[in-house]
Amino acid sequence: MTELAEGSTRVRVRRNLSFWNQEFQRIHSPILRYGFSVASVGIALGVAFALQYYQFRDVELPVFIVAIAFTTWYAGNGPSVLAVLLSSACFDYFFVEPLYSLEISSRDLPYFLIFVAWAGIVASFSAVRRRIEDNLRLARDHLQVEVEQRRHREDEIRKLNLELSKRAVELEVTNKELESFSYSVSHDLRAPLRHMIGYSELLQKQASSLLDEKSQRFIRTILESAKRMGNLIDDLLAFSRIGRAQTKKTRVDLKQLVEEVVAEIGQDTRGRDIAWKVGALPVCYGDRSMLRLVVVNLVSNAAKFTRTRKPAEIEIGCVDLNEEEVEVFVRDNGAGFDMQYVDKLFGVFQRLHLPEQFEGTGIGLATVQRIIHRHGGQVRGEGAVDHGATFYFSLPKNVQDTAERTANAS
Amino acid sequence: MTTLGRILVVEDDPNDVELTLTALADYNLANEVVVTRDGQQALDYLCCRGEFSTRSAGNPAVMLLDLKLPKVGGLEVLQQIKSDERLKMIPVVVLTSSHEEKDMMRSYSLGVNAYVVKPVDFHEFVNAVKELGIFWGVINEPPPGSMEKLR
Repeated sequence: MTELAEGSTRVRVRRNLSFWNQEFQRIHSPILRYGFSVASVGIALGVAFALQYYQFRDVELPVFIVAIAFTTWYAGNGPSVLAVLLSSACFDYFFVEPLYSLEISSRDLPYFLIFVAWAGIVASFSAVRRRIEDNLRLARDHLQVEVEQRRHREDEIRKLNLELSKRAVELEVTNKELESFSYSVSHDLRAPLRHMIGYSELLQKQASSLLDEKSQRFIRTILESAKRMGNLIDDLLAFSRIGRAQTKKTRVDLKQLVEEVVAEIGQDTRGRDIAWKVGALPVCYGDRSMLRLVVVNLVSNAAKFTRTRKPAEIEIGCVDLNEEEVEVFVRDNGAGFDMQYVDKLFGVFQRLHLPEQFEGTGIGLATVQRIIHRHGGQVRGEGAVDHGATFYFSLPKNVQDTAERTANAS
Repeated sequence: MTTLGRILVVEDDPNDVELTLTALADYNLANEVVVTRDGQQALDYLCCRGEFSTRSAGNPAVMLLDLKLPKVGGLEVLQQIKSDERLKMIPVVVLTSSHEEKDMMRSYSLGVNAYVVKPVDFHEFVNAVKELGIFWGVINEPPPGSMEKLR
């Protein structure tokens, strides 16, 4: 690098001075730097002699100072000190009386000292300038590296973005597919079922007198199974709709909501001995119809699984979890469940009881979970066989910042 | 209840057609039912063209429209009816398997008069069709220009 710099700089100097500066200042070899110092003082000496020869008086001093400045500029501090010493010596030896001796007459001493001081000042100024330049160059290099890195990172981000948008498109396609899938399920799967049920019933009506008891039971089974399948499909579709439907969040008075649901379910369970207990409930922020579905599912489950109890006890209340969340629970003294299967509780079509014991498709708790998750909450269940069950769901509290946070997020 | 409006059923599935007719027959509503099997045929009927060019003029008292139809879909039929000056007064009831909110929204925004999801249960289906027939064919006063027949 240094050879190249030295060899080619002369050619380029006229073309690009700044490039020359840059190349030359990269010289790090001490021999070259001190050599530069000696050479420039030598050249200055030669120039001074030439000027003296052409009868120019008292210009040796600036010539040496120029040599010192050049040395400081391009070769650094050490060489500049050397240049000061050398040019002092040369000046003293060749141009200060007595000539050709290093002695200085007392008359010339101030003159000489001023030269040394002047040389020192020029050298130090140049050194300061050089240091600043070095710092600047360092900073520039640093910046350049940073810019390079940033460009690199930007490239990477762009690449990731591209990938992300590709993924998003893929996801959209998958979603569309899924949607059209559930759409065809809704249309095409229900139609044959409706026919199965319809024609079975028509058959039952038309041929009931011709069929024996066993055949009639077969038709009944066909009908029941088809109806059950219809219910399963309907439940599954409703469940998938919850995932896709837009949530319209408002303030929801849970107490009012629960009382409404309890009144409604109380209508259906008239004649049963149920002790309802509704505690204080908070005002939440969420989609009212969805939250209503949660409460309906949990409360009707509680009513269902306490069918064998006299009296049945169903309690709805809440626990203040922390500043941000509130946990609502529905507790019953019904059939309960084995905690061993607690993981299955919220799965789609997962049931922990036989259909003869308790009817249902097994979609209720899955729906509850999906709705609560969409509201940013959690669900859990606790229970023991024959000792009842408690289901909890947590919701963000209705504080103003919840609304703001949601607004900011969207 | 002296008059009985004509009911136009647009349904591609022959089984559904039979079940619908059975349900309507239970209430003596089946006499004045016209069945078309796809959207194009339904529009032909309404506009008295093609195979229906010789039918007597007049709009049906109600149209029971399935959404999933061959050739021209139900929503498109609905759109064409509601944008046609002569046809837009015909009461249209969408009778479909689709629970989809999307279909419902689209139908209502196109100006459907009722949206009925076919119940899976046969009894419910029969009841739904019967009630539709009674309401639109008998109780409801159809818009002027509908074909009517003394009962």
